[in-house]
Amino acid sequence: MKNNIDEINRNVYDIKNKDEYEFKIKKGITKDIIEEISKQKNDPSWMREFRLKALEVYNSLELPTWGPDLSELNMNEIATYVRPKTKLNTSWDDVPEDIKNTFDKLGIPEAEKKSLAGVGAQYDSEVVYHSMKEELSKQGVIYTDMETAVREYPDIVKAHFMKCVPVHDHKFVALHGAVWSGGSFVYVPKGVKVDIPLQSYFRLNSPESGQFEHTLIIVEEGASLHFIEGCSAPKYNKVNLHAGCVELYVKDNAYLRYSTIENWSKNMLNLNTKKALVGKNATMEWVSGSFGSKISMLYPMSILNGEGAKTEYTGISFAGKGQNLDTGFKVVHNAPKTSSVVNAKSISKNGGACTYRSLVRINENAKNSKCSVSCESLMLDDISRSDTIPVSDIRTDEVEFSHEASIGKISDKTIFYLMSRGLSEEDAKAMIVRGFAYPVSKELPVEYAAEMNNLINLELEGQVG
Amino acid sequence: MSGKTEKLLEIKNLYVNAEEKEILKGINLQINKGEVHVIMGPNGSGKSTTANAILNNPEYSKTKGEIIFEGENINKLPTDEIARKGIFMSFQSPEEIPGVSVTNFLKYAKNKITEKPVKIFKFREELKKYMEQLNMNPENMERSLNVGFSGGEKKKNEILQMLILDPKLAILDETDSGLDVDAIKTVSKGIEMFKNDKNAVLIITHNTRILHSLDVDYVHVLINGKIVKTAGKELAKEIEEQGYEKYKTGVKE
Amino acid sequence: MNNLKLNDTPVRTSRNFNINNIKLMDVDIPEIIDDFNNLEIIGEESQVQNNANINKSKLIYGLGTELEKLNEKSNKDLKIELDSTDEKEIQLNFKFDDNNLTLLENIEIIANENSKSTVILKYISTNKEKAFHNGIIRVKAKKNSEIKIIIVNLINEESNNFISIENNIEENAKCKYIMVDFGGKNSITNYYSNLIGESSENIINTIYLGKENQLLDLNYIGELRGKKSNIDIDVQGALKDNAKKHFKGTIDFKKGSKKSKGNENEFCLLLSETARSMALPMLLCTEEDVEGNHSCATGKADNKQLFYIMSRGFSYKEAMKLIVRARFNKIIEQIDNEKLRNEILQEMNEKLD
Repeated sequence: MKNNIDEINRNVYDIKNKDEYEFKIKKGITKDIIEEISKQKNDPSWMREFRLKALEVYNSLELPTWGPDLSELNMNEIATYVRPKTKLNTSWDDVPEDIKNTFDKLGIPEAEKKSLAGVGAQYDSEVVYHSMKEELSKQGVIYTDMETAVREYPDIVKAHFMKCVPVHDHKFVALHGAVWSGGSFVYVPKGVKVDIPLQSYFRLNSPESGQFEHTLIIVEEGASLHFIEGCSAPKYNKVNLHAGCVELYVKDNAYLRYSTIENWSKNMLNLNTKKALVGKNATMEWVSGSFGSKISMLYPMSILNGEGAKTEYTGISFAGKGQNLDTGFKVVHNAPKTSSVVNAKSISKNGGACTYRSLVRINENAKNSKCSVSCESLMLDDISRSDTIPVSDIRTDEVEFSHEASIGKISDKTIFYLMSRGLSEEDAKAMIVRGFAYPVSKELPVEYAAEMNNLINLELEGQVG
Repeated sequence: MSGKTEKLLEIKNLYVNAEEKEILKGINLQINKGEVHVIMGPNGSGKSTTANAILNNPEYSKTKGEIIFEGENINKLPTDEIARKGIFMSFQSPEEIPGVSVTNFLKYAKNKITEKPVKIFKFREELKKYMEQLNMNPENMERSLNVGFSGGEKKKNEILQMLILDPKLAILDETDSGLDVDAIKTVSKGIEMFKNDKNAVLIITHNTRILHSLDVDYVHVLINGKIVKTAGKELAKEIEEQGYEKYKTGVKE
Repeated sequence: MNNLKLNDTPVRTSRNFNINNIKLMDVDIPEIIDDFNNLEIIGEESQVQNNANINKSKLIYGLGTELEKLNEKSNKDLKIELDSTDEKEIQLNFKFDDNNLTLLENIEIIANENSKSTVILKYISTNKEKAFHNGIIRVKAKKNSEIKIIIVNLINEESNNFISIENNIEENAKCKYIMVDFGGKNSITNYYSNLIGESSENIINTIYLGKENQLLDLNYIGELRGKKSNIDIDVQGALKDNAKKHFKGTIDFKKGSKKSKGNENEFCLLLSETARSMALPMLLCTEEDVEGNHSCATGKADNKQLFYIMSRGFSYKEAMKLIVRARFNKIIEQIDNEKLRNEILQEMNEKLD
């Protein structure tokens, strides 16, 4: 609630640093450019070959024939690699002043002190800061930038990198495979419980560029982890592109919660891919808040491969003026006794469009599985748009599948009730909307829940965008 | 009644439509500080419309007449301003607000009404005290407002809100309907706790049970959008025994 | 032999989900169209004009251009104009037999202002020969009319059954459909309603039953344009053996449909572990003051329920039949014609044997 939490100034997200960098690749996607990125990044040869193969796949695939219109994306206008003018640091003091300031204002070092076990911070294409509490490294937990992982843990990386999300999945995954840079690598050894969350924050500062970070998390048997991902960018007039890739391996009896607060600027095309492979009796939880970007196409996916695997998706999208947020969830039940619960919400306002798009597939071998989906959309005016496009594909009979969705507006009666308690109409609406979003915010650490509520307030006041 | 009468609310010749149908057809009513008024009447006579019209519910439109609160015409004020001026309405069917806990809601509403930050400690103490007296389950405080509450819990919660927000005029719209004897007693206890010579209560009801345990100054009988009779508490007793038939005749539909 | 791509959804989703349309391989599309003579009309025949000059305007959706074009060579063009206000029933029975194996019909139904009537269209095979049916039905429900349309598909399981429906529903008109979809190797339906008038209403109640290798593809689209318009789609089905069903239901709240309501409910009972049920219940909305709900559920019969029924002396198969029948009953009961009702129940019994 606004009175109880310090106001977050939207300007924080919009701080534009000068477009200074050590190296910026020329715009476009060609073999030469990919080779140059590979050279700049000092790739081992397997990675260089991987990139080139991904480029071939990219060129062979078409744009999606469904969903938001991506015609304004011109890859010839996007620089896919921008190296900031600093190396990877383990102390904030070593991070260049302007970059450090940005993260300061976003509250990252502060959160690190208060409530996180480790932090990674990426600026444009490279990670500029990475650090983790010592007791975790003593337990064998690895949390580092992806480049270091490629260098230092080649076997683990080779065995997992783009195996969960193959480059053929879709065009932007192939693009990611060709130009990826930055991101985080987390390895939690067998039985280790990481009680305090790790967080990676991704900041794109450079105009007409893209961010393609790769996040690879392996939670070994019986281990547990909460990982938080945050992202933002200042607004420019031309399109920026985000095509990250998140691969999560949740082994038998392991637990992983992956929380995202996405607040890209409203010139961003956010075409991100996230997938988790979930083992026997393991649990994968997705918590997702989508507020920013001009266009988002984002459908985290859980593949329940082990008997008794569970997954939950709790997500909210809030689309304001000029935004088209096409989000949702995909789950494949691929073993007996698996279960999934989906709780998706969306809010459309001021001409914004939200789409919930999903797939639930229960395979022949997934006997005694359960899935329940609930989907609620709120329309705050009559110039916005809200669509629900859920597919279910049930291939065996021993299942319980149910899906419920509703669409509507805030009832006038409810507004009157709250106004009779002294709340203005705006306050009443804001309270109802925050209550609507509460199932998501309650799953977030308290600072993030506060940030989310503030984003909602800002959206409702129309100060954003 | 206290010695000095000080006018709190005055309704003058009020006509109100709901969905283009005329419901109130010239109501006059004066409520002074320290008084407890009751509006009684059969279903559809316009009782709830009166309450909603005072709070300026946009679903009702006033076609004629005036509502004066503490000397100010509040006909056209938005509902929240009316609430902040000190009029409270206990709803017949309170709305459910998912995701907003009772505590947070009360704190927030109290902030809005008093227009200054609530002192948390004092607020908690007050809340605890009232809840005990209203036999309310403290666990309900962290539940979403009215969501999954029984009818009785919802009504008690309305009374709790009244006590916390401490208005000058409390309008209780059918707060007693659908409650069992014990719950009605609790509700009247809440009203007793609230009542003093600086405020006033307007009870809207179609049955007389709640009046047994409450001191009432005036009873008004509302039939077909008009107040046809005003008298003291004895009028309620008469209606309990004889019903509205006597007053219905002679009032044109 | 043709490969057909049919029944596109109004909005596409990921191609990998395999539901944007349906592809049928090796469909025998008749080239020479003989007459179709086995049509029986029960009720006031004067309401039906044979070989009439009827509205054949391009369908907004339809199953696809190929099948729409095919019906330019139609062998039945019928116009049914309804004026009665006393809920008269007219029944058209199309019977496929050795001499009548191809039916390409265009039907135009006009429910005139204030009329109240029921139209039954029954398609039935009297042999096991492979038949081909492609029907296009255009309905206009004029102001204040009430029309009930019952479409019963009892074609044999070798045949192809294609139906495209297009409704325009005017102010205060009530248009109700009951569809019984039991027959056909492939039974593909495209249903489109344009609720253009204020307070227009469209209720669709469907039951389907699939067995062996039957494929059902139902693509229902309701567009609400009029204020306070109302659409309610209820689809109940059961699948056994390797039967496969796609239900695609779209409720689209268009601009202007303030205070409208749309409900969509789909339930699929799976009676074998190899049956497959796909569903895509879409809600599309560009208007604020509306209420839209959809729900769908898929699963097998409740074991407790089965046990209870069997404890009363019913065999497993009988118990299963009872459970399916219980689900279908509230829809079947809405058919006033007892003979037809019994025919449906009997067919249901046989299919579930």
